[in-house]
Amino acid sequence: MKLTTRKIVVSGVLGAIAILMGYIPFLGFIPVPTPAGNMTIMHIPAILGGILEGPVVGLLIGLIFGLISFLRADNPLFADPLVAILPRLFIGVFAYYAYAATKRINRGLAAALGGAVGSATNTVLVLGMCVLRGLLPMAAAVLVAVSHGIIELIVGTIITVVLVLGLQRIMIFEDDVGKAHS
Amino acid sequence: MELTKNLTLGIYLPGKTALHCLDPRTKIAGAAGLIGLLLFTNNYTAYAFFAAFAFGLILTAKIPLGYALRGLKPMLPFLAMMWLFQVFLQKPPGSKVIFSWWILEATDAGFHIGTLMSIRVLLLFLMTTILTLTTSTVELTDGTEALLRPLQKIGMPAQELALTMVIALRFVPTLAEEAEKIIKAQTARGVDFKQGNFIQKMLKLFPVLLPLFVNAFKRADELITAMESRCYTGGTGRTKMKVLRMGKNDYYAWGVFLAFAAMQITLILTIAPPC
Repeated sequence: MKLTTRKIVVSGVLGAIAILMGYIPFLGFIPVPTPAGNMTIMHIPAILGGILEGPVVGLLIGLIFGLISFLRADNPLFADPLVAILPRLFIGVFAYYAYAATKRINRGLAAALGGAVGSATNTVLVLGMCVLRGLLPMAAAVLVAVSHGIIELIVGTIITVVLVLGLQRIMIFEDDVGKAHS
Repeated sequence: MELTKNLTLGIYLPGKTALHCLDPRTKIAGAAGLIGLLLFTNNYTAYAFFAAFAFGLILTAKIPLGYALRGLKPMLPFLAMMWLFQVFLQKPPGSKVIFSWWILEATDAGFHIGTLMSIRVLLLFLMTTILTLTTSTVELTDGTEALLRPLQKIGMPAQELALTMVIALRFVPTLAEEAEKIIKAQTARGVDFKQGNFIQKMLKLFPVLLPLFVNAFKRADELITAMESRCYTGGTGRTKMKVLRMGKNDYYAWGVFLAFAAMQITLILTIAPPC
């Protein structure tokens, strides 16, 4: 795997936003009316990185997100590195492939799909890993996925669409054919 | 809204104890080894032995016990909930019902699974806490990079990964300041961030998040230009200003770790799990 300077730097800076969201509840959490009380949008930088800069950047931001949630776990589930880090690597990667597969049809739709797939990856893989690791019984995981995961999916999708379309209007990304950063 | 005031990255507790002064490679590999052992531990005796060892580590590092356990507090309610989930929802065949109320039935197997899981989670958390309390973030990245370097031969970009981490940590305070400025600017334009239901609150996040991301990308562009104009070409062949060296204490630490691991593995293999 060869990492360009651009990939390293963009992953680092977007990773910093993910860390920041974890430290500043105002930026990283939205209070929602579910049993868990809060939903996080800490996975959004990973999705954005994947969609705007490619799967490698998405993977690296996911790694930073995972490491941070492992090293300062306030939720007992994330004290297990296999739950905290491993599933997070795939958020940006899957979001990228969902986006790349559909972006020729409609950019907004593709961004929505990327956001939805990225959020769902986070929810499903983390909860799946919890069940595999014996931290939660299957029934409880399904309960959390239905009550919390769906809202997180909707909110994640909306935020991704707005941010991707907004950023693409303001800035030029490698993804834009012909106008690429060299 | 003051965002940057309470922003302390990492929970490093500076000190000069034997544990603080170990090579970060020893500490990271040791912590990883201990975490690995925990994932396989499956009986109360082995957990008790492990807890005694963890307590020994805390004493060696002279970490105030209350300080080490403080981080546990916010996760206790959730852990209690997870324990209840396990107790009432685990019904492996052949388990005895020990308590029933209304439609809920607790089994002895569920009780053991839940309790063992809770102990494991608490000890996992304690291991990470001890590592981050005695190792600064710079040492952590340095150590990880050094440990991953042998993998560079098979294509693992160890130095690039470490650089990514360093950039991320470096940019957290900068972007926090940026976020504060944006929030103040939007408040001046009349946005009230405190009011509204959750949909309105989410919508109010956009005028903060979008400028924050635009700024982040602009700063990234500047840094890329700066690095490329200084001929940054990636990690291969780069030397380090501070070279990590293993000392006598590191070899002692490895001795202690291996002895502990051997005893722990014996305990795991010889004592049957309670369920």
